[in-house]
Amino acid sequence: MNVGFIGLGLMGRPMALHLEKAGHALHLWARRPESLAPFASVNAKTYATPAQVAANADVVITMVADAPDVENVCLGADGLAAAGKPGLIVVDMSTINPNAARSIGQRLAEKGIEFVDAPVSGGETGAINAALTIMVGGTPAAFEKVKPLLEKMGKSVTLIGGSGAGQVAKACNQILTGVGVMAVAEAFNFAAKSGVDAAKVREALLGGFAYSKVLENHGQRMLDRNFKPGFKAWMHQKDLRIVMEEAHRMGLMLPSAAATAQVFNAIVGSGMGENDSITALQLLEKMSTPEA
Amino acid sequence: MNIGFIGFGTMGLSMAEHLIKAGHALRVWSRRVASADSLVALGALRCDWVHELAMGSEIVCTNLTGSADVAGLADALRPGLAPGAIHIDFSTIAPGAARAIAAKHAAVGVEFVDAPVSGGGVGARNASLAIMWGGREELAPRLAPIFSVLGKSAVRIGEAGAGQVAKACNQMILVNLIQACAEAAALAAAAGLDFRLVREAMLGGSAGSRALDVFGGRMAIRDFGAGVEARLHHKDYALLMDEAARVGAPLPIAAAVWQQLNALMAQGLGTRDTSSLLRVLEGATGRHTD
Repeated sequence: MNVGFIGLGLMGRPMALHLEKAGHALHLWARRPESLAPFASVNAKTYATPAQVAANADVVITMVADAPDVENVCLGADGLAAAGKPGLIVVDMSTINPNAARSIGQRLAEKGIEFVDAPVSGGETGAINAALTIMVGGTPAAFEKVKPLLEKMGKSVTLIGGSGAGQVAKACNQILTGVGVMAVAEAFNFAAKSGVDAAKVREALLGGFAYSKVLENHGQRMLDRNFKPGFKAWMHQKDLRIVMEEAHRMGLMLPSAAATAQVFNAIVGSGMGENDSITALQLLEKMSTPEA
Repeated sequence: MNIGFIGFGTMGLSMAEHLIKAGHALRVWSRRVASADSLVALGALRCDWVHELAMGSEIVCTNLTGSADVAGLADALRPGLAPGAIHIDFSTIAPGAARAIAAKHAAVGVEFVDAPVSGGGVGARNASLAIMWGGREELAPRLAPIFSVLGKSAVRIGEAGAGQVAKACNQMILVNLIQACAEAAALAAAAGLDFRLVREAMLGGSAGSRALDVFGGRMAIRDFGAGVEARLHHKDYALLMDEAARVGAPLPIAAAVWQQLNALMAQGLGTRDTSSLLRVLEGATGRHTD
C-alpha cells in the first residue's frame, strides 16, 4: 500500500519504519528536513508539502504534537485536504482534544476524505517494539481498511466508536495513568517518611487488590530512581490539560485528575518537565523536606 | 474626545452612559440595533458599520463576552483605526488572546489596552469599578480621562495581557472564597446550626470578606436566583486554568473549585448565582432540598 507518514519524531520514526519493513511504500513530508535522514536508504519518497504526500497515498498517518499541528497538516495551505483523492483515509495517531478531532474529521469528510483518530499508549519503547496499544475512533469500514497497518505498529488495536472516540479512550488512559502515578508516588513517599522500605511495600502490594501495572512498572522505576523518560512529564501535563478542557466543556467533575494536573503544572514550572512523569515522586519529596 | 463604544450588556450600557455624561462624543455600533437606543437618546451618534465607528474615533472601547468575539471585532476595527488610536477592551478574555490582538494592532500602529474590570453591574452603575489594565505605560495620561469616569481605581499591571492575568487572579480569589463560604454553610447546617447566625458572627472578624457578605448572604437566605450567573465564573476558570497550565503554575485549590463549578454546570445551575455552589455540596450528601 502507498502510505503517507507525517510526524517522524521519537514515536513516528520507528512506527513508519515498521510499516516500510512490512512492505509498504512510504511517502513522507517533514517540517524539519533532518527528520527524513533515517529514511534515505529505505523504500520512501519525500515531498515538499503534505498535499503532495496526499496525492500519492492511499492512507496518510499523522503523528504530531497537538491539535493545531494536526489541523495545519490536514486543512492548512498545502495541507492533505488540498490534494487528497476522494476515498483517502487520514489516520491521526497524535493525542489531541477529542472535540478537535471530531471537528477536523467533519471538515475532511466535506472533501470526501475519511478521518480516523488512533492515539496510542506505550511510549517510545512501545513504538520501537511495535507493541503500542492503539485506540481507534472512526467508521467500521475505515477501521477495517487501516487495521492491517495499525497491527504492524501495535499489539492491541481496538475500535472504540465513532470519530473522536479514540481520543476519548486516550484521555481516559491519561486520567488513569496520571492519577495512578500520583497514587504510587504518594504511597511510596508515605512509606519512606514513615521509616518503611517502599520496595517491600510494593512487593507485598503487587499480590493484592492494589495491584496495577503502574505500581509494578512505574513503581519499580521510582525505586530505581530512574527518572529518564519514558514518557515525559510535560507531555503528561499537556494530555491532562486536554482532559480538563473537555471536562470543562462538558461540565464534568474530575476532582482527582484536576489535583493531579496541578502537580504536573508544578513539575513543568520547576523545570522538571523533561523527566519521566514519575518525577512526581521527586516533587512530593521536595515538598516534604525542610527548606535548605 | 471622540470615543467609539461597542458592547452594551448590563455593564457596557452603564459605562457608555457615564462617558456621555462626562462630555465625551460617543459613537456607538451594536449588532442588535435596539440595544443602543437609550444611548442615542442621550446624544450618542449611531454608526451603521464597525468600520465607520473606527474611522472617527481616537479611542474605541469594547465590552464583549468571549475571546473569539473580541478578536473578531478587533479585526473589523483595525483597518479603520488611525495610527496612534487606542483600542481599550474591558471584556474578560484569555490573556493569550489579548496578547495576540495587541500584536496584530501593533503591526499597524494601533495601541491595545486590556482593561478588565471588577465590581459587577452595581460597580458599573455607580462608576466604582476596579480597573486593572495592561498596555504601554506612556498611554496612561490618555486613558485617565476615561478610566476616571468609570471606576474608583485603575491600576496598570504591565504590558498587554497583564490586565487579564490580574482579572484571572481576581476571579480565582472571589470564587475560591465563595466555595469556602459554601463549605462553611454546609458544615454549619450539618452541625444543626443556623448559618445566618454563623455568618453574622464571622462578618466582623478575621474571616470577614465581600464574598461572605454578598454570596454568603445569599446562601444564608437561600436566594440563589439573583446576582452573577455562575456560568460566567465557570468560563473564567477555563481562562485561569489554561494560563496556569501554560506557565506551569500549580493551583491546587482553584483546580478543586473548578471541579465543583463543573458539577454545578452539569446540574443545570449555570444561569443561577454562584452561591449555588452550596447546592452542589448539598447534592453530594442529599442533606438539603429546596
